[in-house]
Amino acid sequence: MTTSDNADAPDTAVGRNMIDFAADFMPALAAATNVVRAAGRLNGRRVGVALTLEPKTACLVEAIASLGADVAVLGSSNSTRPAVAAALRETGVKVFAERGSSPERSAELRDGFIDHYPEYLIDDGAFNVRRIHDQRRDALPSLLGVAEETTSGVRPLRNMAAAGMLEVPCLAVNDARTKLLFDNVYGTGQSVVMAILDATNLQMQGKVVVVVGYGKVGRGIASMARGLGARVTVTEIDPVEALAAHHDGLGVAPLMDALVDADVVITASGIGYSLIADHVAAMKDGAIVAVGGAGPPEFDPTMLGTLTEPLIWGDTVRDNIQELRVPGGNTVFVIADGHCANTSAGEGNPIEVMDLSLALQMRAIDYLAANDLPVGVHLLPKEVDDQVASSQLAAAGLAIDTPSAAQIEAARTW
Amino acid sequence: MTNSPAPPPGTPRSRIADASLAPSGHQAIEWARRNSPVLDGFVRNKVNDGSMRGKKVAVVVHLEAKTAFLATVLADAGATVVAAGSNPWSTRDNVAAALVDRGIEVHSTRGSTNEMWEADLLRVADSNPDYIIDDGGELTIRMARDKPDLYAQLKGVSEETTTGVVRLAELDRLGRLPMPVVAANDAALKHMFDNRFGTGQSTVQAVLALTNLRMPGKRLVVVGYGWVGRGIAAYAHAMGARVTAVEVDPVRALEAHSDGHEVADLLTALSTADMAITATGGIRAITTRHFAVLPPHAVLANAGHHDHEVDVPALIDQADSVDQVRPGVTRYRLGSKPVYVLSEGALVNIAGGLGHPVEIMDLSFSVQALSCHYLATNNLAPGIHQFPAELDRAIATAKLASRGITLDHLTEDQTDTLSEILDADTFHSWGSTGDSQ
Repeated sequence: MTTSDNADAPDTAVGRNMIDFAADFMPALAAATNVVRAAGRLNGRRVGVALTLEPKTACLVEAIASLGADVAVLGSSNSTRPAVAAALRETGVKVFAERGSSPERSAELRDGFIDHYPEYLIDDGAFNVRRIHDQRRDALPSLLGVAEETTSGVRPLRNMAAAGMLEVPCLAVNDARTKLLFDNVYGTGQSVVMAILDATNLQMQGKVVVVVGYGKVGRGIASMARGLGARVTVTEIDPVEALAAHHDGLGVAPLMDALVDADVVITASGIGYSLIADHVAAMKDGAIVAVGGAGPPEFDPTMLGTLTEPLIWGDTVRDNIQELRVPGGNTVFVIADGHCANTSAGEGNPIEVMDLSLALQMRAIDYLAANDLPVGVHLLPKEVDDQVASSQLAAAGLAIDTPSAAQIEAARTW
Repeated sequence: MTNSPAPPPGTPRSRIADASLAPSGHQAIEWARRNSPVLDGFVRNKVNDGSMRGKKVAVVVHLEAKTAFLATVLADAGATVVAAGSNPWSTRDNVAAALVDRGIEVHSTRGSTNEMWEADLLRVADSNPDYIIDDGGELTIRMARDKPDLYAQLKGVSEETTTGVVRLAELDRLGRLPMPVVAANDAALKHMFDNRFGTGQSTVQAVLALTNLRMPGKRLVVVGYGWVGRGIAAYAHAMGARVTAVEVDPVRALEAHSDGHEVADLLTALSTADMAITATGGIRAITTRHFAVLPPHAVLANAGHHDHEVDVPALIDQADSVDQVRPGVTRYRLGSKPVYVLSEGALVNIAGGLGHPVEIMDLSFSVQALSCHYLATNNLAPGIHQFPAELDRAIATAKLASRGITLDHLTEDQTDTLSEILDADTFHSWGSTGDSQ
């Protein structure tokens, strides 16, 4: 089953141009594709790609298809770009994505995607690999390996492995340095802050911004917001990360205290229920709430905490901005219903950052195909990471040093 | 008339695209109001002293939500406001509809032809305004040329931009400025904030939104290091770009160098540029001789006043093909080398983005509203006048107060007065006496 958008047919040519523009800024993906093509292992294999469906991921999908693989794509209802989906369909890729699809329809699409019985699955948030283990065990025997894109997907996979529930080899692509240090920090940092500014038409200068969580994503967001003139306070549950925020010149406070003065609250925890209804009640009237981590339920306004009355959703006051009212109290403005601001209210991470992440994904499925990995959560080897980083350095015309024999020797000595 | 439905009673003269768009326009104006504490508080109270009652004010500024909110504040103070856009492309039709719905006369549609836009300006002139809030002097200059009788009846003009102030000063020099003009642009609260922070942020924002490219690691050339160039360079640098500033003025070049940016001549700078943004306020800053040195995939954008800082006509002449590859992104192939121009060289933050942040326009339009009020309450002589410094301070104070920020003040013993030195028996050397150190 493949699908097509019947109403307002999206402009395939627009989608095609956007994909081609992105491809021009993705030298690392091109290099990785060449390496994998030479190995020839993905020819004729069934590959499933479940990533935000927009121009950059379309480049990955087309690169995998160009290797002779049979590719199916799953995109979410709130982040799929219809014109890009249409352009991909035209190339023969099986696309399971409809912008604005109902929860029921989204479930159908997901099942259709799993009915492709992918041998290699690129997953985002481990949603599909969990579903296959749980409700779609019929797809488990044919699944040979999974490459996971995000922090919030690697965590449940490790939990499953620890509980003895994981039944396929997985690669934590997210944990590669060329992913974690770039996509999460610079990519999400830039794209979340820009999505908030684009949605609101407000300035960052002089704003009090609270960043919930100082992991890689929180660091990126805090750094971009501060660079644009905001005063940033970080909230943390980890003393080491909190101390790092302090050394970076940022405020550190418990969430309930920090919220009181916040103009903008951005969650970057990647963990469910990090911001709930009673936090909203503590905010200033007119404060802005955005999610930069993992999407629902990272911000869950239905969990009341100490409140007794539920919050009330009000008007959509601008595109991607909804009012959320505390009965008898303040009103805050939520970006993109609490979905990830950068992918829902913006175009996702910048092209050059996704170049790195998607080049790693390309190498990851090839690595899964090349190695008979045991069930568990594995890392990509360092040389793959280094090769991907080197390919983008080379494209930027940048060279690095190699250690001298003396340095190598010195590093080995004890 | 473009399918304009019957206008509501009381505004028979308006020309807008679609009155049914009013609800979303009201919502957009309300968002602007909510984020404009100075205009909605201190300024609203000040202009509401009766002095604007019965005065006709023409507002000719990019007609979107922030401008519309300024129009409503003046209307609420009793003025009769007539509005048009200062550019045929920047009008938001829903906002225009909302203004008409509030009884304000509007002559503007988005994407109108230049002829229609000119006709709209003349219709605003025909309303016989007392005061103009102008942008680029567009209405004032047209009235001087085409409506001399009505021009002679103008009581004052408040001008928004650097370009407009220069034009109106030229009119004055020609002996053709019979009314007082307040150079609102020259207010500290305007050019230091609007041009630097407003254009800086919104330009960086528009470039990234149009391209979906990454700022960290980019080699960015900023052509011109005035207020606008400084703002762009500062934000791009803060987001991880390596900035090279290009200047013709040695003092500004030294300032860019001292701010930690590279400084180079344009050809050298462009030869390694990933992106170049013009902010010169002149024309043809990047032209034929520069295109040759650009690396493949370079992105060009303009943040200066004119649409001709990137010489797009010259680029079209040289290009083997021209394609729109994303909304607002045009690719020109020079041989095998693609280069990209954003928003066809027009002001990228307005043509390809949302314009300035609301809070910035809260300051700029507070200056405009108070400037208009200043004209209405003072019998100023014809000619160019500065915006009073005490009003600058009052706006800043109101903005700080809206953020709950308090200031310090000097005590008498902290003041160093010349008379103390002159009258002292011996020269007092600070810190050399007493034991309080």
